[in-house]
Amino acid sequence: MSFIKKAKTNTIEEPVKKISWKEVKRQKVLLIWSAVIVVYGLIFCYFPLAGWLMAFQNYKPKDGLLHSTFIGLAKFQQLFSDVTFLKVLRNTLAMGVINLVSTFVMAILFAILLNEIKSKGGKKTVQTISYLPHFLSWIIVTGILHDALSASGIVNELLIKFHILEQPLNFFAHPQYFWAIVAFANVWKETGWNAIIYLAAITAIDPSLYEAAAIDGAGRWAKIKYVTMPGIKPTIMILLLMNVGNVLNAGFEIQYLLGNGLVQSVSQTIDIYVLKWGISQGDYSIGTAAGIFKSLVSIILIVIANQIAKHNGEERLF
Amino acid sequence: MKKKALVSLLMTATLAFSMLTGCGNSADSSESASTDKATEEKSDGGEKADGEIKEFTAFFATPGTEINDDNEIQQIIAEKTGAKVKETWLTGQTDKEAVGTLIASGEYPDFIEGGSGTPQLIDAGALVPLDDYLDSYPNIKALFTEEEWNKIRQEDGKIYFIPQFSTIKGEEKVCTHNDEAFWIQTRVLKWAGYPKVETMDEYFQLIEDYNEANPTMEDGTTNIPYTILCEDWRYFCLENAPQFLDGYPNDGSVIVDPDTLKVIDYNTTPTAKRYFGKLNEEYHKGIVDPESFTQTYDEYIAKLSTGRVLGMIDQWWDFAYNVNDSLKQQGLDLQGCNYVPLPITIEKGMKNQWHNSGGVLNVSSGLAVTTSCDDVEGALQFVNDLLDQDIHNLRFWGVEGVDYEVLDNGEFYRREDQRMTAADTAYKAAHLCTYSYFPQYNGTSDDGINANKPDGQANEFYDGLNSEVQECFEAYGAQTYVDMIGTSEAPGSWYPMWSYSNTLTTNTAGGTAWIKMGEIKHEYLPKVVMADNFDAAWTEYMDVYAGCNPQDFLDEMQTELDRRMEEAAKFN
Amino acid sequence: MKTGKRNKKKSSLADRIFVICNTIFMILFVVITLYPVLNTLAISFNDGTDALRGGIYLWPRKWTLKNYTTVLQKDNLITGTIVSVARTVIGTVLALVSNAILAFIVSRKRFLFKKELSLFWVITMYVNGGMIPIFLLYKNLGLTNNFWVYVIPGMLNAFNMLVIRTYMSGIPDSLEESAQLDGAGYTTIFIKIISPLCKPVYATVALFVAVGQWNSWFDAMLYNRMSDNLTTLQYELMKLLSSVTNQSGSIESMKNAAGTVTPTSVRAAATILTMLPIICLYPFLQKYFVTGMTLGGVKE
Repeated sequence: MSFIKKAKTNTIEEPVKKISWKEVKRQKVLLIWSAVIVVYGLIFCYFPLAGWLMAFQNYKPKDGLLHSTFIGLAKFQQLFSDVTFLKVLRNTLAMGVINLVSTFVMAILFAILLNEIKSKGGKKTVQTISYLPHFLSWIIVTGILHDALSASGIVNELLIKFHILEQPLNFFAHPQYFWAIVAFANVWKETGWNAIIYLAAITAIDPSLYEAAAIDGAGRWAKIKYVTMPGIKPTIMILLLMNVGNVLNAGFEIQYLLGNGLVQSVSQTIDIYVLKWGISQGDYSIGTAAGIFKSLVSIILIVIANQIAKHNGEERLF
Repeated sequence: MKKKALVSLLMTATLAFSMLTGCGNSADSSESASTDKATEEKSDGGEKADGEIKEFTAFFATPGTEINDDNEIQQIIAEKTGAKVKETWLTGQTDKEAVGTLIASGEYPDFIEGGSGTPQLIDAGALVPLDDYLDSYPNIKALFTEEEWNKIRQEDGKIYFIPQFSTIKGEEKVCTHNDEAFWIQTRVLKWAGYPKVETMDEYFQLIEDYNEANPTMEDGTTNIPYTILCEDWRYFCLENAPQFLDGYPNDGSVIVDPDTLKVIDYNTTPTAKRYFGKLNEEYHKGIVDPESFTQTYDEYIAKLSTGRVLGMIDQWWDFAYNVNDSLKQQGLDLQGCNYVPLPITIEKGMKNQWHNSGGVLNVSSGLAVTTSCDDVEGALQFVNDLLDQDIHNLRFWGVEGVDYEVLDNGEFYRREDQRMTAADTAYKAAHLCTYSYFPQYNGTSDDGINANKPDGQANEFYDGLNSEVQECFEAYGAQTYVDMIGTSEAPGSWYPMWSYSNTLTTNTAGGTAWIKMGEIKHEYLPKVVMADNFDAAWTEYMDVYAGCNPQDFLDEMQTELDRRMEEAAKFN
Repeated sequence: MKTGKRNKKKSSLADRIFVICNTIFMILFVVITLYPVLNTLAISFNDGTDALRGGIYLWPRKWTLKNYTTVLQKDNLITGTIVSVARTVIGTVLALVSNAILAFIVSRKRFLFKKELSLFWVITMYVNGGMIPIFLLYKNLGLTNNFWVYVIPGMLNAFNMLVIRTYMSGIPDSLEESAQLDGAGYTTIFIKIISPLCKPVYATVALFVAVGQWNSWFDAMLYNRMSDNLTTLQYELMKLLSSVTNQSGSIESMKNAAGTVTPTSVRAAATILTMLPIICLYPFLQKYFVTGMTLGGVKE
């Protein structure tokens, strides 16, 4: 019966909603299930957050969380007083944003264009192929990318053939290309996979809308613009909101595998930093501190984005 | 195996069933799973009935190959010793992470090799002190001298682990130079009439001359005169040559002056500047592969496997096992594409120490028995048994008549087909069982004839060589790779200093400096080599380098060096 | 749609240009996408040391099945496959049902804690207690050395929930209202009215969960390392790969690596083997995405 009590206290906090006995009774099933779900969430998602204590401790595995010595904000100070960390933060943000934008645009574009293919067989084939790279591990993808972009690789060969370059260019030796290469790799690997959600969303659009548009004489562009895009807009908004919170998760493996000494000033991300200065030193505390920092930034970004969405009357997360 | 599959099939079915009958059952099924485990454990570690085989578990915090559950030699060893060990290896984690989770859970396997997580294990009280046990196990005790055991003692004066790879029994038998060197293809030496090459300048001159005269291989592929691997931790191929060029052994992180017993930073020596200056010069001449600093390890190995690369610095184990097979398959070994080491120093007439005799005692980690082990005596008895000569032969040579043959004079040899099967992955998993992270010997067997491991057996070694390498060896009056560069006495009691620098963490100023130095070198050494103006680039590098406070690091190394010498003095 | 009428003739020309461009784009896309997969396939059938020489694109140069036999001879592979299939099936069903229920609840416009409950789950996407606290929790819950650790902890997931919720919120309220007038409770509405309309999104989420379940191995290593009978296919493959990758660079593991298979070639074979089931599964799910257009009829 605890949910009923909770409901009552909420009446005071939120006078907008009419919480009455009748309503609670009506929603009994929903409330019972939410209670179960909340208990589950508290156990599996919120309870382990006790681990955040590590960031404020000089954590030693043998002492555990309860007996490690507290050192306050020292680990956070260590992070932010390090010039390398600030550089790493810049890289992470930059790559996070570039990846977010490029993978997003490509996936939507691909889903819409695929939907325009009339041949059913063609559509199926293209889509089945499109998501295959998702299953290749980064180590395989980066290997192929390395081949393609090497001095004797296909890219240099083409560039020289078309007289864009005189000499083969060693793409991985120049920091200015690195972010673009990472973005390209992400697009390459995930476009088809990410498009699956949009394709499902497109199926939710009422076909009669297309028919009505056709009667109005709308061409393809008009249909895409006035029917398809609005139809998948809620999905786009939700995914965009979610991913805004993920910009600091710009990745680890790909930068680790594609990076080298010459480009390390632009290639290292927070996760690599944590591995180098935290995990491989057996310092869990600094890894946790970086994790907390990432979580806080994510939540702030999400809340801001959500407010903007709310303000504009768009779909939002909460 | 089949039985196992059946059991797990039943188990899955049960699980699926309990799932169908509702969520309430999940507690039950977890309980039954844990009782299963408990009974299993009982039968594993339980009382030693006649003919019953004890089963221990082991975890090694290093990647390795699991063998099959029904492995044949493991079974033979189990019958002889009354025990077997189920080994698991590191997967997808760092050693410290793996050790960290074990400590957090408080449950350990019976045996553990913690890698760089070893200090954490000792800290956590997870390891059994071995001091009181050693005297009862003569084979284990005999692995090291009293002085060596003393080096392994921790701050509390106890011995917690047994270094596995450091013992040479009897006469040392080494044929390959397993470590770092300037390598060169035999075709280059042959073309020049097997000249004496002693200095770095001569080495590059020879490569330049050869490449000018023979810019391509026999099939027309262009040569890559010199390449440098510097991916991640493998950048030693670029970084640490200055210590060797000055005639010092591989202390790894610093040079130790054997007379004054002071540490020297090899990154800032005049030799270092000359070496990187030379690389810069060769880079602009087109001798150094322009892809050097961006290639991955896979690409590097692929490059060497084509036979195009004339020379490089590397450690034998880092390239040879992959590359030699490939060269042989393509017949490139007969075109002189195999690599031999050269005794290079910075000036003529210096003594080089690319190769040192004697084992390297790794005092930072080893095989340990954990507090979770119910039967410490049994565990140590098993380790002791593994060191018996006949068991040791089973581990590394295999079964007589199957994996190797014995000549009338008692010498072991392998036929070509036996050598092939010994390299076969599937065969290894099903048949061979080296217990590779348990203590073992190098050097000579008790019989005084054979090497303890096949790769030390002279005849075995020669049979594996091709005519080009043999011809090259002959020309230099050498019989083994080691003869090509000569050997030196084992360095002093401090050696090797890397066993200390490997344990440094950011907890100390020196450790922080050490990691920063590595970062800076990763970025600036390639820049220095590629720079148009070497001197300016070098000055910039030295400025940035000084900004990492390398002195903090050197001070800590000096302290450790002094400590080690003091310890050693107690035994003289 | 005034512009539409005026441009009718023009648009049919534009139409044709569009179709041509689109087709070219798709062909390019397919070529670029398919290449890495075919390349991996070719390498998986090529001799390992020979592949080191490079120059293998779409066709193996030196055929061998060795890479596959190396993978397939691995011990425990059958057990691993059974467990993997079990966790994929059970995990997908449980995750789908629970996420659908949660999404259903938070997409009810009248629900009292709509916003709070959503926020509660959205936060979980961005916070994480870290490996060791989670490990200790599972251990105390008795989830270590237990099959259910694969299924229970990750069952509810904010991302999947939001995907379903977005879809559900596109379904007109009028359906719910008219059902309620007929006396249907929430359970009936969920099962009889909403769920049948959500097939495409259920298929999507099922695919995401199934792929995640099938591919994950870290949980097997972390929580069930000591239980051989709970190993998963992917964990066995990872063990195989890390044993041939010899990251430690130790002499011992290097020696183990010698032979005609290399990390690259074995990795390729393992990749292809794990891709197969998913490739087979996909067309069945795809039906729901592609045929949605003809389902029609129910939306506003």
